[in-house]
Amino acid sequence: MKPGLKHFFDSMDAYLSGPPGAEGLSKLSASHPGWDVAPERMALYGQFVRGHVRSTLEKLFPFTRKAVTAAAWDALVEGYTRTRPARHYELNRLGEGFAPFVADATQAQGLPPFLPALARFEWTDFAVFASEEALPESVERLTPNPTLAVLEQPYRLCAFVRAQDGAVQPAAGDELALLWRHPEALVTYYMAATPPALLVLKMAVEGLSEEAVAQATGMAAGDVHAEVVRFAKDGLVLRPAG
Amino acid sequence: MSPRYSHRHGLKPLGAGIGLRRDFYDALPRTTRKLDWVEIIPENFLSLGGRSQRALDACRERWTLLPHGVGLNIGGPDALDDDYVTRLAALVKRLDAPFFSDHLCYSRLGGVHLHDLLPLPFTEEAVEHVVPRVREVMARVERPFLLENPSYYAAMPGGTLQEADFLRQVVEAADCGLLLDVNNVWVNATNHGYDPRAFVDALPLERVVQVHLAGHDVGEKVLIDTHGDRVCDDVWALYRYTLERTGPVSTLIEWDQAIPSLDAVLDEADLARGVLAEASR
Repeated sequence: MKPGLKHFFDSMDAYLSGPPGAEGLSKLSASHPGWDVAPERMALYGQFVRGHVRSTLEKLFPFTRKAVTAAAWDALVEGYTRTRPARHYELNRLGEGFAPFVADATQAQGLPPFLPALARFEWTDFAVFASEEALPESVERLTPNPTLAVLEQPYRLCAFVRAQDGAVQPAAGDELALLWRHPEALVTYYMAATPPALLVLKMAVEGLSEEAVAQATGMAAGDVHAEVVRFAKDGLVLRPAG
Repeated sequence: MSPRYSHRHGLKPLGAGIGLRRDFYDALPRTTRKLDWVEIIPENFLSLGGRSQRALDACRERWTLLPHGVGLNIGGPDALDDDYVTRLAALVKRLDAPFFSDHLCYSRLGGVHLHDLLPLPFTEEAVEHVVPRVREVMARVERPFLLENPSYYAAMPGGTLQEADFLRQVVEAADCGLLLDVNNVWVNATNHGYDPRAFVDALPLERVVQVHLAGHDVGEKVLIDTHGDRVCDDVWALYRYTLERTGPVSTLIEWDQAIPSLDAVLDEADLARGVLAEASR
């Protein structure tokens, strides 16, 4: 690449990576003597590029956004934008590092302590939804849903997110959250892990038969079967056909 | 005039198409309305599973799919993204797309994706920079490739070429096709004060394989290429003017913001199909 073109890209990089405002535009303009450009036209590009980060975060993290004041949200978005998070051609992937960023910012900015876990939950919700894991058309034995993600978190986020009732904050308390993409609906399902759900997952992971589980646990064989059917219907596990 | 790019590559006009957008993932594959082909944004399908892939597969069963990228970064300073190009090539082959396209712009700086289409300076340096990158992409994907004329709100510094000359020099030196976005021509002509018809006349029209039509927002001092409205009368008129010179070419209705019902977008495609029919008489 010739020096003139490199200088152009360098100057645009400096403008687009800097803070919004007139100063960056002035520097950009000054780095190209004789360039007659309307500042409000060039400002559009800065607005567009920064706007993509904001709109994507607001799409991916609606509960995190709702859990803080507008000013606190703006500070999070602006701070995160400065880290230049868009490192992948798929737009939504720029949200991948938001939860760790929120975790770093929470103490320093006096944000709600549940915010990092909530942001992580929302990112996982999207990551499961968009997972490249392909579901097999059929399985030979009980199989965990390959999109399954498990989160250990110190808040009851599943109930908090499901309620969507504007509760101020989630209840404190350890929770093991299970998130997976339903094989037919292709949307993310989630639940706080329960003993029956963990039992069915254990059966799938370890290849345990319903009879063996009934014998080992003292549960009625019909009850074990009913749990397998229930969680297969929800897509947490995949059952052989027939 | 050299032989048409489409004839050299055996590309025939496909009619009027619309884009596969998330809002239409369920409805589009089931529509009973007439639709000739479907455009996809490959970035939505290269690394996303689930609903995206199901919609893609369902549409593939009914229509020719044309990938139209926004992330190739053909004009940028960074090396081409190897993973992106590899996945793009695989997608194009999987869809058996007759051709694919992206924009004559840059969209990545210093490893950061801008997720926008930023204009290059209209210079010989930029032509020299872009042309080998286009050739590399075509060699790797092994399908005909079109570059789209992007909208721009400010002319970049150091320009030595007219916009149409810049486009011509790139597509002729790279020997690729041209995706002529008629709305972009109108937006640019209005924003920069030139005659859109003279601009069309100055283009290498023998390389036009596809046309885009879209709506734009009318601001106080500038038109913004939002793809958020119906195609306006001025753009329809410029489309007719273009087809009188190119003959019928595959035409897309782009609607990416404030997306209305599927029927409303298909209504626009019906209008385009009518104009295409007029052009072929």
